[in-house]
Amino acid sequence: MTEIKLNKVVKAYGEVEVIHGIDLEIHSGEFVVFVGPSGCGKSTLLRIIAGLEKVSGGEVVIDGEVVNTVPASERGLAMVFQSYALYPHMSVYKNMAFGLENAKMPREEIDKRVTEAARLLQIEPYLQRRPKALSGGQRQRVAIGRAIVRDPKAFLFDEPLSNLDAELRVAMRKELAGLHAKLGGTMIYVTHDQVEAMTLADTIVVLSGGNVAQAGKPLDLYNKPRNTFVAGFIGSPRMNLVEARVAANGTGFDLVSGAQTIRVPEVPGLEAQSSATYGVRPEHIAITGEDDADVTATVELSEQLGGETYLYCSADGLPQLTVHQLGQLPVERGQVIHLKFDRSKMHVFGADGNVLANGLPT
Amino acid sequence: MAFDTDPRAEPVRLSDRVYAILALPAMAFFRLFEWPLRFLQRILGIGAMPYVFLFPNLAFFGIFVITPLILSIGFSVTGGTNLFLQDRPYVGAEQYGYLLECGNHLDPTTCREDRFWRAIYNTGTFVFFQVGFMVLFSLITALILNREIRGRGFFRAVFFFPVLLSPVVVALIWKWILLRDGVLNAALVSMGLERILFFVDPTWSMFWAIFVSVWAHMGFYTLILLAGLQAIPPDLYEAAEMDGTSKERVFWRITLPLLWPNMLVVIVLALIKAVQIFDEVFVLTGGGPGTATQFIVQYIYTTGFANQVQNFGLASAASVVLGVVLFALTIVQLAVTRRKDEG
Ligand SMILES: Nc1ncnc2c1ncn2[C@@H]1O[C@H](COP(=O)(O)OP(=O)(O)OP(=O)(O)O)[C@@H](O)[C@H]1O
Ligand SMILES: [Mg+2]
Repeated sequence: MTEIKLNKVVKAYGEVEVIHGIDLEIHSGEFVVFVGPSGCGKSTLLRIIAGLEKVSGGEVVIDGEVVNTVPASERGLAMVFQSYALYPHMSVYKNMAFGLENAKMPREEIDKRVTEAARLLQIEPYLQRRPKALSGGQRQRVAIGRAIVRDPKAFLFDEPLSNLDAELRVAMRKELAGLHAKLGGTMIYVTHDQVEAMTLADTIVVLSGGNVAQAGKPLDLYNKPRNTFVAGFIGSPRMNLVEARVAANGTGFDLVSGAQTIRVPEVPGLEAQSSATYGVRPEHIAITGEDDADVTATVELSEQLGGETYLYCSADGLPQLTVHQLGQLPVERGQVIHLKFDRSKMHVFGADGNVLANGLPT
Repeated sequence: MAFDTDPRAEPVRLSDRVYAILALPAMAFFRLFEWPLRFLQRILGIGAMPYVFLFPNLAFFGIFVITPLILSIGFSVTGGTNLFLQDRPYVGAEQYGYLLECGNHLDPTTCREDRFWRAIYNTGTFVFFQVGFMVLFSLITALILNREIRGRGFFRAVFFFPVLLSPVVVALIWKWILLRDGVLNAALVSMGLERILFFVDPTWSMFWAIFVSVWAHMGFYTLILLAGLQAIPPDLYEAAEMDGTSKERVFWRITLPLLWPNMLVVIVLALIKAVQIFDEVFVLTGGGPGTATQFIVQYIYTTGFANQVQNFGLASAASVVLGVVLFALTIVQLAVTRRKDEG
């Protein structure tokens, strides 16, 4: 049972505040992913939990105990570093055993744990090697092994896969998911890769500029983004986001962007003569006939992947629109197509970027 | 010119312009060599040019290092008091025999050349303590200077400063401090304590010889160790912290092993320099009281040049013995640094 709570956590380096009062609750056994663009404070927040950075305000609570002044070594957490941070002068075995030796654990127990972790991570053949003689993926496993043997209250990962090549990253991602299922510990994982976040997390915490933009289950974030930042960040390829002027038209609103007008029903909170942003995901745009169309666009690029097709289209007054279609489409560059947005899946955001509606009535 | 209009070119800084102007005389100087070098290249061919460039240095090395080396071997196997080698009778290993012959090698008074053996024992004592303290203090200083302390740059400069002083200056500074009427004794007297005659007491003399040479050279070794400390990735310390490692264990199990290559370099360099000790101590104590701080190099100097009878043969033999010791230490140093480069 490990509950981690952050209450109004603030971090400042000198004059510069980089974390602006974050509240967060992490439940026992949960896999939480911090995701966000570079510099948004993911690592800082993780290091605050680890105890490697002191908070400037607020409190960190682990299992009901405020740990603000408890040193990292006594918080009972284990961290896997982006650089792996393996001790270069120790064998793989020693690397994993080091933390246990610090705790004065009996030899046999250490041996048992290290062997077990090595078997789990399939690094038994390398136990006597130095980290220098291992590949990136193997070092990664050792770093994870070093965390596992300590049987910590929670695992902290700071972009553990970012030094691996794409293929290995996907493989390790699956292994990590399997590992979490097997070990069942609380895990906090930092990444800037939203695919990693979607596939691994029970809960995603999207950070933006030192604030929590939104926290929730992956699909909740996908389906019900709370603001344009989350809408644009979660999902690959990105959601199409279009800025528009709002005009009343009797039964509902017209969203006008340059030459393009999208007609939508009444949306609570939306006001005429204000500005707004609407969003529609690539898979929620259909290709239709001319009469039915919201937008008529020219195909700039068509990516045929066999099982699915991505079209990148341009239309007057709109940013580039990404369209996702299942199967193969006989569409070529320069061709003019007619697009219809699925109203039930459209998102509308107010002038401040906060959501007004996730899905419109049809 | 094409460079001036290249949009990617960095803007020319003022300091660059200043350097360019300062460089003009240097360029004019090197122009002087252009014609002779072209001429040499024409007559010797391009393949010979590397040797042409190496020649001046090799010539100096040959005249001032190799020739004296061969000469001193020559002097060491000849006898008499003549300066010119062709006038000196060949005596074989006699000088070495004289130098090395002892009733009991652990007791200098039983040796035929007891001053040499005394110098060896003095040097041994000096090297043992000087290298020990040198390594210990430069390590401690480096560890402190590696922390985030206020005025770190200032302290680094302070500790390095003595390295820049000439050994004679260093010795004179301390001599004035330690003399009978020196600053230190003045301070002791003003505190109501007894004056200490440092240079009359053999133990004090040895102590100050060691102290002053450590003070003078510590900055250099501190710098080597500091570089080593800064090359240790900070991540490792954070990992160790997460692993619940105590401060002492971090030092013994992480810092020291990772610093060890630099430590070895420091130990071996300090050893070589300590065995060669002469100028500072000679100015400070003159080897006294008696022969209490007389070291091998001073023995060689007095035997060869300062005594009434200038015994070049014996001095050369002692030099050769010292040379062999230094050569062995240098081999060790090379092996150590090579292993560091590979590791
Ligand atoms: N020691 C420091 N001193 C001053 N500012 C810092 C320090 N460490 C981090 N910052 C600032 O804090 C902010 C958050 O940094 P952090 O390392 O947490 O970002 P991140 O989200 O992990 O980014 P990345 O994905 O690039 O790793 C950044 O703007 C960074 O410049
Ligand atoms: Mg980071």
